[in-house]
Amino acid sequence: MHQLAACLYEAGVRKGDRVGIYLHRSLETAIAIYGILHVGAVYVPIDPKAPIARSQFLISDCNIKVLISHRSQKRNLEKIIADPTELKTIIGLEESWSVDTLSWETVYQGADHFEPPYRVLEKDLAYIMYTSGSTGQPKGIMHTHYSGLSYARLTTELYGVTEQDVVGNHAPIHFDICTFGYFTSPFAGACTVIVTDAATIFPASLGELIEKEKITIWYSVPLALIQMLQNGILDEKKMSALRWILYGGEEFPIKYLRTLMERWPHTTFCNVYGPAEVNQCTYYHIPELPTSDDPIPIGQIWGNTDYLIINEEGDRVDDNETGELLIRSATQMKGYWNNSELTEKSLYKEQDASGEEMAFYKTGDLVKEIDGVLHFLGRKDFQVKIRGYRVELGAVESFLLTHQSVKEAAVFPVRISEEKQQIEAAVILNAGSTEKEKDLIDFLKTKLPFYAVPTELKLVDDFPRTSSGKIKRSAIKKLVL
Amino acid sequence: MDQTIIKYIIDELHGGRTDLEINSDDDLLGGGLVESMGMMKLIQFIEDQFEIKVAPQDMTIENFMTVGAMVTYISQTKN
Repeated sequence: MHQLAACLYEAGVRKGDRVGIYLHRSLETAIAIYGILHVGAVYVPIDPKAPIARSQFLISDCNIKVLISHRSQKRNLEKIIADPTELKTIIGLEESWSVDTLSWETVYQGADHFEPPYRVLEKDLAYIMYTSGSTGQPKGIMHTHYSGLSYARLTTELYGVTEQDVVGNHAPIHFDICTFGYFTSPFAGACTVIVTDAATIFPASLGELIEKEKITIWYSVPLALIQMLQNGILDEKKMSALRWILYGGEEFPIKYLRTLMERWPHTTFCNVYGPAEVNQCTYYHIPELPTSDDPIPIGQIWGNTDYLIINEEGDRVDDNETGELLIRSATQMKGYWNNSELTEKSLYKEQDASGEEMAFYKTGDLVKEIDGVLHFLGRKDFQVKIRGYRVELGAVESFLLTHQSVKEAAVFPVRISEEKQQIEAAVILNAGSTEKEKDLIDFLKTKLPFYAVPTELKLVDDFPRTSSGKIKRSAIKKLVL
Repeated sequence: MDQTIIKYIIDELHGGRTDLEINSDDDLLGGGLVESMGMMKLIQFIEDQFEIKVAPQDMTIENFMTVGAMVTYISQTKN
């Protein structure tokens, strides 16, 4: 970390400069993150699996001059630098290119202690993570050392993380779930096992890794666990060291969650919720085996965090009423990079008695509070009106998933004319299932009001997914239409 | 057998790129030559082409990290 920081300083990197990290899941990611932070710069993870044009966009949007990578990414790097960008130096390559290069071997030959001639404060920028914006252009979410450290403190406390823990990190570094493995673990003195890309491809290898490394805390999207379950990989694995399963990013289909909880009674399952703009803001430790198919609540607001639930008129709602969740917290982002307009739009402001401004982040998520527990009801923009009726698409998906043959489901609105839209669905069936499209429609008709039943339903082999395994809803429409 | 698999990876997973060279001992997974969807297609191809059935517990890094490893696995399974 010191050696890399020294090299970065040598390459002209100073406080506040953005440095890109273009790495697959590997040990170098940890060195890169801490080396960049140590020199006072801001790290920007760039997904090596993303299209070249998106990587180029991030490089120019953040004015990145130095990129940390690895020779295994050579093929993509060649394409990235084929078009002119601000990029001047790539760390992790041996050969000379049109940009300066520096191998990891050279980095490791540097002095093992380095301090930059300036100080880094908690309020300084630490990292920018990009997410897909609803308008198409990715948005850079800026986090400070304070928000990162607050996350580490709050999670360490909430999950009682100690130096005895072994954290299984499944997420790539451009996905905020990874901050547990990269920030919380070092903060608590625990060990993080970085799951390699290869292990994420093979459920059997992943299962073996969790058992062999005696992972005590596992945090991933539900899909990683579901794949192991479906392939029968977990049948003989007790995973006796596992004390926490944290999942986030999307809902865990209840039937799989139930099976896993039955199999691992020694493990506590926690539903983690929070948009990347606030990292995490609620938690729900599932107290017992779910008896119904109702979605798991997102739970309680965690420490150092304030919240409001407001309706469309901007008024606070009562218990049991639906509204949008607003969050003001220690882990809140500083704003969107290079986009103060979007930052302003994302905030809801109030003044306290002293006239101090309180800025809440508008999550865009609809929730309902019942006895101090928050329930997630879907995205604000995931709610559509069909013939005047309000339909919650997430609810239709949940009903589809209760069917025994349904493995995964996605429900989305399709506009058929200016004023008319209809609901359509795409479904992946379990292997060996013989259900036809019509059987599933008939099934839904017994569960839902007529206006909420999809007009069209298609069976597909797989869904387009993001690199973190989430269903890419925008792309599904193209798949079925 | 090596060449059949390499040809499939280049033709089917990389659209027949002519500048791509893959050796039997190249790490296909670390360098992103084969992604998860691609690996599923590749395993399907291997099952059809070499008339074997790959059991879920055999779908591991050890058996599929390189073309060489796949060849060893296929030969063992066939016997």
